Amino acid sequence: MVSTFSGLGATLSSLFAHRAAMDATGQNVANANTDGYSRQRVVMQSVGGNTVPAMFSTWTGVGAGVTVSSVQRYRDAFLDSQARIQHAQGSYLDGLNSVYGQIQQLLNEPTDTGIQSQLSAFWSSWQDVTNSPGDLAARSALVQTGVTLATGLNAAHQGLASMWSNVRDQLTSAVNEVNNLAGQVADLNQSVVRANQAGLPSNELADQRDRMVMRLSELTGAAAQPQTDGSLTVTIGGSALVSGATSRQLVVGGGQSLEQSSSVPVSLRWSDTGAGVAVSSGMVAARMETLNATVPGYSASFDQVAAVLAQTVNDQHQAGYDLNGNQGEPFFTGDSAASIAVAFRDPALVAASAQPGGNLDGGNADAIAGLAGISGGADLTYRNLVAGIGAAAQSTQQRASIQTTLVTNADAAVTGASGVNLDEEMTNLILYQRGYEAAARVMATVDSVLDTLINHTGVG
Amino acid sequence: MTTPIRATQRSVAATTLAGLQGNLTRLAGLQQQLSTGRLISQPSDSPGGTAAAMQIRDDISQMRQYVRNADDGKAWLGTVDTALTGSVTQLQQARNLVLQGMSAGSADSPAGREAIALQIDNVRGALFGLANTMHVGRPIFGGTTAAGAAYEADGTYLGDSGSVQRTVAANTRVRVDASGPATFGDGPGNVFDLLSQISADLRSNPANLGARLDELDTVMQRFQAAEADAGARYNQLDLLGQTASDRITTLQSQQSQLEDIDLPLTITELQLQQTAYQAALSATAKVIQPSLVDFLR
Repeated sequence: MVSTFSGLGATLSSLFAHRAAMDATGQNVANANTDGYSRQRVVMQSVGGNTVPAMFSTWTGVGAGVTVSSVQRYRDAFLDSQARIQHAQGSYLDGLNSVYGQIQQLLNEPTDTGIQSQLSAFWSSWQDVTNSPGDLAARSALVQTGVTLATGLNAAHQGLASMWSNVRDQLTSAVNEVNNLAGQVADLNQSVVRANQAGLPSNELADQRDRMVMRLSELTGAAAQPQTDGSLTVTIGGSALVSGATSRQLVVGGGQSLEQSSSVPVSLRWSDTGAGVAVSSGMVAARMETLNATVPGYSASFDQVAAVLAQTVNDQHQAGYDLNGNQGEPFFTGDSAASIAVAFRDPALVAASAQPGGNLDGGNADAIAGLAGISGGADLTYRNLVAGIGAAAQSTQQRASIQTTLVTNADAAVTGASGVNLDEEMTNLILYQRGYEAAARVMATVDSVLDTLINHTGVG
Repeated sequence: MTTPIRATQRSVAATTLAGLQGNLTRLAGLQQQLSTGRLISQPSDSPGGTAAAMQIRDDISQMRQYVRNADDGKAWLGTVDTALTGSVTQLQQARNLVLQGMSAGSADSPAGREAIALQIDNVRGALFGLANTMHVGRPIFGGTTAAGAAYEADGTYLGDSGSVQRTVAANTRVRVDASGPATFGDGPGNVFDLLSQISADLRSNPANLGARLDELDTVMQRFQAAEADAGARYNQLDLLGQTASDRITTLQSQQSQLEDIDLPLTITELQLQQTAYQAALSATAKVIQPSLVDFLR
């Protein structure tokens, strides 16, 4: 037997379900432009009869309406992990690229003010002294261009050193951010697991967690594996950063300045075990590479330029004789970009003469001017350094630009899977609206049938 | 840019934005090239070109120095030439005076020879002045001496054996002074002693004048040789200086080819890029705007 009012119940369940579906559509439209939002869909399920037959259960063969079984969140775990990998590589290359940009600004080549021009001016000054060995003005000008050149090299080293310190600070703050995020992801893991157990909505929490994990990937190249309980395990270099409701911390160790970095490289460790963290992509990896390889490497190259300059000029200078007839002293002191300086300010001490005895010979100054073009000299060493930086910067730029396209594509794929398409939402809205209207119509019809039965049957 | 299987308004907006961004970046790059006029503004624009540009700058600076050196050397050699020409004139005059002293008319007149001897003394004084000719405060016949003169009044050489040289090309040094000992002489047999002896012979021993005339001719040949040598070196400096100067022009055009933009090409590229950007903008404006919402009433 069919219950008199069973039709009303089924129709009511349809009204509820379509209201819920329209609510979900509303939520989707509201978040059409929310970063990291995943579209949601109400999953409807028809309510059938009893699955277990019993003695007094009756069944007419018609179902009892519809029910909302779940609100599904559209997310593709594979695309997510692809996007995380591409973002990590992208921010790694961006990090390196910005470092090369700064180094190139520091070089300021090719210009008429860079170190190359200062070197040229320096060698020219020696020729001027060759031309007028007795002229104190030419000698003073030479000492001045020497000071300018040494200061230029000092400034280059200073620039690299302060850049190193800046990047060191950035690494520390990036690692702090990683530690913060790891804690928050662990908290969200716990919330999601509890919500799932209690049957509460957790989609928005999961979206929020995905955004944080993406940021973690950008910072450290972290990977994430979804677990069956709804939690997300985040790993860096194969070691777990977040597992369930627990998170671990990273610490930065090692040198505090460019000078210390050669003996004590900057290191990244797990605070609990003290083991090193293997980071191969993400901003942190770019910072580590900058601190341990890029900047110290170029700083060593600048040191080499300074060392070659000081060595060649000093050797030749000591072979000559100054205006007082004495054997030349070293022209430069120091053998690194940081320490190089002109040894004296007295123009008479410039050993321009190749002959002893205080004459006006310019042979030695000429010989020093001739050091400009020698193979393995300071000019060539410096030009090689600049060309090397240029080539590395160019290849990083190109890689970063290619990576930007890959990141955009990966993002497009993720948005494709989980983003909100307004056309689709509008179509669904019409669908749900019509469904609601039809259910209401059914209800009106049933009502009218019942009216016939109750008010017009057997009356008068 | 690949199109994902399922497009959404947001993904279309993101990919369109990325495309526009790329367009604008290229446009900005071209605009930077146009406004600075430079193809290479940092090493990464062209690592090889940067190294070459730096090398060329270095070479230009070197060549400018060579031109300066050559000009400076020419000034030295000009002074040397004037001094040597003056000396030859003086010696020529001395030779004429000796001939005059040897001629019949004066040979018998002590008073006439005394007058000639006085003129010879004047020539000696003039030569002494020429031997101490200075150029920018340095005696040009004194080698590299720091002393203010090349010769003392008694004919003693004060200079040294060094020489003043100018580098005017790679590994090419040209001497720009003249050797005092090789012209005026050093020690016995120097030109001042010779003239003193001629003067003495005129006064007391005219018979010896014939031998003195031969000695004077030898000295004069020395001076003429030195003069010719100075002239040749002047020419060499002139030539090498001109070569360096021409090289600067060549290097500057090379530098310009490396570092400067090709204006017509860049402007054409900018135009093309602008057209592409505008096309992308108008297409975007058409694609982004409509959705089903516009058509539901």
